[in-house]
Amino acid sequence: MKKNKTMIVAFTAPAVLMFMIVFLYPICRTFAMSFFKIEGVTDNVSKWSFVGISNFIRLFQTKLFLTSMWNMFRIWLIGGILVMCLALLFAVIITSGIRFKSFFRAVIYMPNIVSAVALATMWLQYVYSPKFGLLKSLFTTLHMDKLAKIQYLDTTNKFWALLFAYCFGMVGYHMLIFASGIERIGAEYYEAATLDGANKVRQFYFITLPLLKGVIKTNITMWSVSSVAFFVWSQLFSTVTADTATITPMVYMYLQIFGAGNSVTERNAGLGAAIGVLLSICVVIIFWVCNLALKDDDIEF
Amino acid sequence: MKKKLFCAALLASFTAIMMTGCGQSSGADSSSTEQQSQDDTKDETASTTEGGKLVYWSMWEATEPQGQAISQAVEAFTADTGIEVDLQFKGRTGIREGLSPALDAGTAIDLFDEDIDRVNTTWSTYLMDLEELVKSSDYESTASQGLIAACREVGGGTLKSIPYQPNVFAFFYNTEIFEEAGVTKAPATWAELLDACEKIKAAGYTPITCDDAYITSMFGYHMSRLIGEPAVETIVKEGKWDDPAVKKTAEDYAELASKGYFSETIEGNVWPAGQNSELALGTAAMYLNGSWLPNEVKDIATFKWGCFSYPALEGGVDGIDAANYGAQVFAINKDSKNAESAFQLIEYITKGEYDKVLSELSVGIPSDTRNTQWPEMMESVKPVMESMKVRYPWAAGAEANADLTPIIKENFLKLCGNTMTAQEFVDAMISAGK
Repeated sequence: MKKNKTMIVAFTAPAVLMFMIVFLYPICRTFAMSFFKIEGVTDNVSKWSFVGISNFIRLFQTKLFLTSMWNMFRIWLIGGILVMCLALLFAVIITSGIRFKSFFRAVIYMPNIVSAVALATMWLQYVYSPKFGLLKSLFTTLHMDKLAKIQYLDTTNKFWALLFAYCFGMVGYHMLIFASGIERIGAEYYEAATLDGANKVRQFYFITLPLLKGVIKTNITMWSVSSVAFFVWSQLFSTVTADTATITPMVYMYLQIFGAGNSVTERNAGLGAAIGVLLSICVVIIFWVCNLALKDDDIEF
Repeated sequence: MKKKLFCAALLASFTAIMMTGCGQSSGADSSSTEQQSQDDTKDETASTTEGGKLVYWSMWEATEPQGQAISQAVEAFTADTGIEVDLQFKGRTGIREGLSPALDAGTAIDLFDEDIDRVNTTWSTYLMDLEELVKSSDYESTASQGLIAACREVGGGTLKSIPYQPNVFAFFYNTEIFEEAGVTKAPATWAELLDACEKIKAAGYTPITCDDAYITSMFGYHMSRLIGEPAVETIVKEGKWDDPAVKKTAEDYAELASKGYFSETIEGNVWPAGQNSELALGTAAMYLNGSWLPNEVKDIATFKWGCFSYPALEGGVDGIDAANYGAQVFAINKDSKNAESAFQLIEYITKGEYDKVLSELSVGIPSDTRNTQWPEMMESVKPVMESMKVRYPWAAGAEANADLTPIIKENFLKLCGNTMTAQEFVDAMISAGK
């Protein structure tokens, strides 16, 4: 078939053009903005003042930003391990031929279809409430007075309260991805392994896990992207003003671009852009490490 | 050749469809409420709006009392004048994030509203000078002189915004608990506050509660009473945490905490836990908050409200006539072609009947001085509001440094929760300020 190069170019041009306008231009502009001091995010370029890399230096000298990075790292690592392990466990159970599979899958996935605002309100005002909370009532009934007296939302425990509430909602999402990966693996492998005398645990380690490498990589990448973009839950756990236990780089970026709380504070969209650049670098590094560590191109099934 | 032409036409239409998808038709916002003129005979008057409809971006949500009152006012305005208004409820974050980009992109917005400080500081470059319009309509004769003066002050000496929904930040309290505890007079000094707290505690109630969202205001007010608000901003912005006022404030609050005058859960109260489940339900007596508080909990709280200004401190710079008082304000876009109609609408909402409707629905303070009848729940706020002479910014300067607010919040919550001593608070702040 004769290739008409002009037609190929012509038909790809609108998509390429749109990609450049919608993705490439904002990326380049954000990168450029990170080297300037800019008061309003839509200020004309003539109002920008060049500051070199001082936005980046300032970020690394600001304790609150470093706290936000530390919080993000803990959400990514601890939350990631918790969510991935639980999601994988549930995915294996659900695909193991149990009864009411669809019901359990729907129940575990349910938090994903509820708005984050409603979920966070439930956790804050119902589960963790030191007055009428589920945890308080439960521990009081069990006469575990020390646990009943814990304030789950005080400055010491708030981060963990937030992390647990967030992970609770995320397990179902990653479980579905794992489950679809497991269902792709042919039943004959398990049959052969069963005939050879391998139990379920050995089947999991020697068949399921190696054949899920690609899916694990996808899940880690998606978890990393959502951890880096962690914003709504943080805002909901610290309304009006941010706090040290729940602040993340995205929240810090918001404070810098739109001002903090009810106060009129100094704004610097250039600093916000610098945070954007740093976060992008984080995602690229995670993606690169994942690709190096989890090579799945050697397996075909 | 025909095939090429067809392909070119197809491509052009694809591109056109994509571009159209990116465009936004005016007034396409889902939250917009267009108030149509119901009377065709008013069409002639409508021609006074040169740019077509009057476009008003509001900070409220359509469902909250302020939004409902404004909708009613706009509807009546259109019926009366024939001027159509494209009223778009953006909500607080919507207008905060969207107004500047929209104005920078040349979106036709005639008027908008938000907090007095944000409008006059953050959006100062978009504002029209309203002195002439105010003068020609004699607007000031029935407006709060204090608030107009505050608008002029933050507007750099000239009036660029019109205040409405006035508010004041002070202690709000449950008068029934005060009466039961034998507290006959609202505290005006720190000693009187301590005395009131002791009596309230003895009566079996929690004297003071608060939420994480407002806790820094307590710190800011106490500091400002001691050394004045400008000095507080200096400390917060420049990290001069070794100032003796910081230690004095920490010691005073540590005393409140150690005597058990704060709610047991104050350190873990995430807004609105304290205001709803303690103050409104009648287990706690006092809460330092804005005059919007009674409205926010009106469906829960059944008691009679009391209000007093943050107490004066011995040897302090500021007295009880200083507080964060202000208002939401209206402003007109300096590029608006419909300034007169926009000002007419502002007058319609902030004067007479609709100012009263707004005040009643939102349990707020009226802005028209002819509306002397304040909502019952606001009666106790009246003397406090009228006594104000010195205006603090939000949180009395405590939140002036965005990099430090969360750190002040964390440590002050610990101090109030009695899990940190006064000296530990000072040390933590000195370390954070380095």
